[in-house]
Amino acid sequence: MSTAPNTTKKKKMSPYKLRGRLADFGYALPALLFFIVFTYYPVVELFRISLTNWNLMKDNYAYVGFKNYIWLFSSTGTGLKRLTSSLSVTFLYTLGEVFGSCVLGLLLALLFNRMSRSFKIMRTLVILPKYVTISASALVFLWLYNESYGVFNQLYTALGVTPVNWLGNKDTALLSVIVFSLWRSVGYAMMIYLSAIKGLSQDYFEAAALDGANGRQIFRYITVPLIAPTTLFLGVTSFLAAMKVYQTIEMLTAGGPYEATNVIVYWIYSLAFKSYRLDRAAAVGVVFFLILLICTLVTMKWSDRKVNYDA
Amino acid sequence: MSETIVKNPGKNYLAAARRRRLRAALQTFCALLLTLIVVFPLYWMLISSLKSTDELLLSHPTFFPKELHFENYSAVFQKFPMGRFMLNSLIVTTACTIIQVITGVMAAYAFSKGQFAGRDLLFTLILGALMVPMQVTFIPTYIMVSRLGWMNTYIGLVLPEAVSAYFIFMLRQNFKAVDESYLDAARVDGMGRAGMIRNVLVPMCKPTVITVTVIAFINGWNSYFWPKMVTTDNAYRTVSIALKEILNAYAGNEIMNFNQIMAAALVCVIPVVVLFFFCQKYILTGFSKAAMK
Repeated sequence: MSTAPNTTKKKKMSPYKLRGRLADFGYALPALLFFIVFTYYPVVELFRISLTNWNLMKDNYAYVGFKNYIWLFSSTGTGLKRLTSSLSVTFLYTLGEVFGSCVLGLLLALLFNRMSRSFKIMRTLVILPKYVTISASALVFLWLYNESYGVFNQLYTALGVTPVNWLGNKDTALLSVIVFSLWRSVGYAMMIYLSAIKGLSQDYFEAAALDGANGRQIFRYITVPLIAPTTLFLGVTSFLAAMKVYQTIEMLTAGGPYEATNVIVYWIYSLAFKSYRLDRAAAVGVVFFLILLICTLVTMKWSDRKVNYDA
Repeated sequence: MSETIVKNPGKNYLAAARRRRLRAALQTFCALLLTLIVVFPLYWMLISSLKSTDELLLSHPTFFPKELHFENYSAVFQKFPMGRFMLNSLIVTTACTIIQVITGVMAAYAFSKGQFAGRDLLFTLILGALMVPMQVTFIPTYIMVSRLGWMNTYIGLVLPEAVSAYFIFMLRQNFKAVDESYLDAARVDGMGRAGMIRNVLVPMCKPTVITVTVIAFINGWNSYFWPKMVTTDNAYRTVSIALKEILNAYAGNEIMNFNQIMAAALVCVIPVVVLFFFCQKYILTGFSKAAMK
């Protein structure tokens, strides 16, 4: 508390005022305590665990220095290979999710941008998947993606192609997972874009129309740049959400086949609770945390400078 | 942009109007088609849950069941403690929602209208928490919770998710916009802090408070990651993790039983879907707020 500037300046505070400030602080206290206990302390603790040889099946553990990090980063062991593979799977998934939801979201926003009752109902239906719990909707997709009886293959084979084991084939598994995620998220992206488009001033469009711009030019040179802050917002939020994907993977593929969908959080979970190697899981967790932190800080810095069109 | 820009409105007016009508019809058609594609999986969940196993496995799938087999639902309720799962979800979600909203409103008051040393510095502590998801902290939190003996308890399920930094952020933005003169008036009337929050701030920011409450409930109901870590016993499983257990229980025979699996899934999503349709107004305003940031 002593670090704050405005108390050090004032020398005396009346007891009444002091009590008021304490009361105000009291209202913030539950939340602050919560984040210290359940967010900041665990981060420190995670780092501590990563320096031990903690096995969940054993009673005690010892400090082993950076041994887990050496396992993770040395090219001789299994660690580095698995780290790079799970990071690249995570980034591919994230790329598909971020890019897909921004592009499809914008296209849907243009398509669904009409103020009528029927369009409102359709929009509501398109957002709905986002609010259906992933475990339930993933179960339907397991059924739809099924190799022998799934509708996707039944429609697909009607075209005379051999059935594909969508989630069981290592070439199609990640793509199928991304399709599922996009099915859930496009409606949300669409709504965010729609409210951004609605908030734009009509002047820009009228000026462009007067200058003789056609629909495509207006879209390319007016709409897209003006909604850049929205794209950034969507990009950042869906990036952070996609990086920590877990439930979708567990429900659809459990990280398989052949690690093709073993995203980093699922890998951390398996290390901790399937191989009982809390120490290694913690080391990967620390690396994951640093990646998230760096990505967030970089985008924050970058967005401060870059995106500010509409003053 | 749905409007076509016509270069020469006077000339060819009829042709342009016709073209515009055609475009509007095309737009409606495409929108309808896309809506149907998006809704299809949910429709498939519903009709698969009502099919018999024979009909389920036809090589030419039926898009409307020939007979309605409601016994899939009773079978699921007999095989699994569905009622217990729903009750667990209801208890955990309600508790989480109430605590998240109360702590959120309190902290939002303190960080917007309250005055104390280091207020803005401490607020960055809250914002910083947004960058540290449960997926990073779950191992130490798991150890802490299991040492406290909170595995398979409601408190273990609720407490680590009891405060949301995002809600504090959203509510604070709104509380900040409330003019100080209202609070002064309340003070003159002899209201304390709790009174001001209850009678001035919350009513004036009612839409946001409702939005936050609805989203907290939906998120709580759909929460998966943490409940998965703290429960090993069906007596404490919530619906979203129970569905994974139900799927596992059919391991090897999933294909024959997808009608029952779909029935279980549908039962678990109904509360949230109903809530979504009743409260969509508030969810949608939440969207535009998020976009405006």
